[in-house]
Amino acid sequence: MTEIATPAPAPVKARRVRRRVPIRTPHQAARPSARLGGPLAALPWALPAFAFVGVLLVYPFCRSVYGSFFEDNGFNSSFTGIDNYTRLADDPIFGRSLLNTLMWVAGTLLLPVLLGLLIAVATHRMRFGGAARMVLVLPFAISPAATAVLWNFMLTSDGAVNQVLRGVGLDTWARAWLLEWPQNTLSLIVAGTWQATGLNVVLFAIGLRAIPRDTVEAAELDGATGWRMFRYITLPQLRAVTVVVVGMAVVNSLKAFDMIWILTQGGPSRSSETLALTMYRETFRLFHVGYGSAIALVLSVIVVASSWLYLRRQMPDTGWAKS
Amino acid sequence: MSHVTNRAMTRVKKRAMSRSARAARPLFVAGCVALWLVPLYLLVVNALTPATEYAGEPDWTVQGFALADNIETAWEKAGIGDSFEASLLYAVVCGLVAVLVAAMAAFAVVVLPIPRPAFWFWLIYSGTLFPLQIFLAPLFGLYADANLYDTRLGLMLVYVAWAVPFAFFLIRNQMTTVPPELTEAALIDGASFARIFWRIHLPLMRAGLGAAFIFQFTAVWNDLLLGITLSRSGDVQPVMAALTTLKASYVSSGPPVILAGALVVSVPTLVLFLVFRGLFLRGITASAR
Repeated sequence: MTEIATPAPAPVKARRVRRRVPIRTPHQAARPSARLGGPLAALPWALPAFAFVGVLLVYPFCRSVYGSFFEDNGFNSSFTGIDNYTRLADDPIFGRSLLNTLMWVAGTLLLPVLLGLLIAVATHRMRFGGAARMVLVLPFAISPAATAVLWNFMLTSDGAVNQVLRGVGLDTWARAWLLEWPQNTLSLIVAGTWQATGLNVVLFAIGLRAIPRDTVEAAELDGATGWRMFRYITLPQLRAVTVVVVGMAVVNSLKAFDMIWILTQGGPSRSSETLALTMYRETFRLFHVGYGSAIALVLSVIVVASSWLYLRRQMPDTGWAKS
Repeated sequence: MSHVTNRAMTRVKKRAMSRSARAARPLFVAGCVALWLVPLYLLVVNALTPATEYAGEPDWTVQGFALADNIETAWEKAGIGDSFEASLLYAVVCGLVAVLVAAMAAFAVVVLPIPRPAFWFWLIYSGTLFPLQIFLAPLFGLYADANLYDTRLGLMLVYVAWAVPFAFFLIRNQMTTVPPELTEAALIDGASFARIFWRIHLPLMRAGLGAAFIFQFTAVWNDLLLGITLSRSGDVQPVMAALTTLKASYVSSGPPVILAGALVVSVPTLVLFLVFRGLFLRGITASAR
């Protein structure tokens, strides 16, 4: 544990500092002043945060994990071991929900991420490129609930999408977008794309701007253009940003709730539910609290596992990230 | 256009890459921009249509200027007004409190001699990792027992707790860039921890604190899940929950009113975005650098 507690770059800094002052790392910096209260002097500063997080997040988390082993209807509960988890395996609604969740993840990687990369590359060093990116990121500043209301207006049976399709003579393409599976989930993903792409464009644009000009020029001297430039120079240089964008996109798609809840409430007949919605419906509409907690735990495990890749990058200076 | 791109362009010409390929780029961008603008355009145009004159299908041209009437209907009848005030209170107060609490915790973990800083870091940061769903059921039970269900205080407490972890992450990252020599010099001069915190660290990190506040303000303002789980009555419900209720009455109030409602609830975050674009994106992009 002591190794973990010491941040990785500390030795480097210590070496730098050692030349001038007696040995110090940033965390020990205040230690000589024991008259100010010693190591416990820091606790009052951190206490409010620990209180908030401990009581309202960590405790509920542990209680959820514990509660997932109980059959609980909100009034009575009885211990049932892992029954809730075995029930998941042959619950067709959970299966559909898992499939929808996977569709959300795949769709998010395919649309907002890939489209974001394409648009970022296309607008890079382009006249009015900044303005184009600004327009694309505008929906990001509108709240998801308002976006959902807007897309409900677009996608209802007499909404704008069908109106356009009928207007250009594609009457057969017009349909009840939100009322049948799988097109309801796909429509929701498209609506989510409208909101989420802008952020990815901005992130990729930051990555593109960070590519050293020398690298690009060297590649040009070697005769790289167009696709080859993109494939062998741009893409490898964007790797770090891509990890973050993909990580955030996957996690956000797993957590997506507002859009689906407002547009379909997971329906009709629970066909467009993802794990996030199934948990909410089981717990707060059907009062299967223990079962809902089990779903929440499954969702949490998936979220944490898929964010691990980019978390490691986010924490380059804590011991855990390195190991 | 820059020197390098010009040279790249010449090379592209020399290699006789097809002209259509070069035309494709602006065309692709323009197409995307148009696709992104159409829903926004429809939102504004249809929120302008007088509610009684809505023909059952979206309007593509401006039909009137009844925006004020529509907003009034949504504000008064659907209770968006009450929720708007409540949400403004939640977002401002919880944003400020969360940033302060997170800054203090970051100060303790980065600057002060707390034992095992990495452990405390992960304890606080873990709050942002998990989906909200894992907290909801026990929170509901906790709130029912403590009489906090459907109270403004209850929502504010949970919003602060929810906002602290990511604010802590942002502020901590910036605080590690403050040279420890500053703290040491101040300590040698006899300054107390409180004085170091308020006089040295907070002023040095004004931009980072601003970014964290804007991020958390937006998060709280946009919240729907905690709102529908932990509140019910009109003057406690946050604004996104009220918008959902309004949308559920789609048939009775008509799309113009609902869209006007959506437009109104987007104003605060939109204004923040347009005024503080750099800070607004800084929170979310901090993780990409």
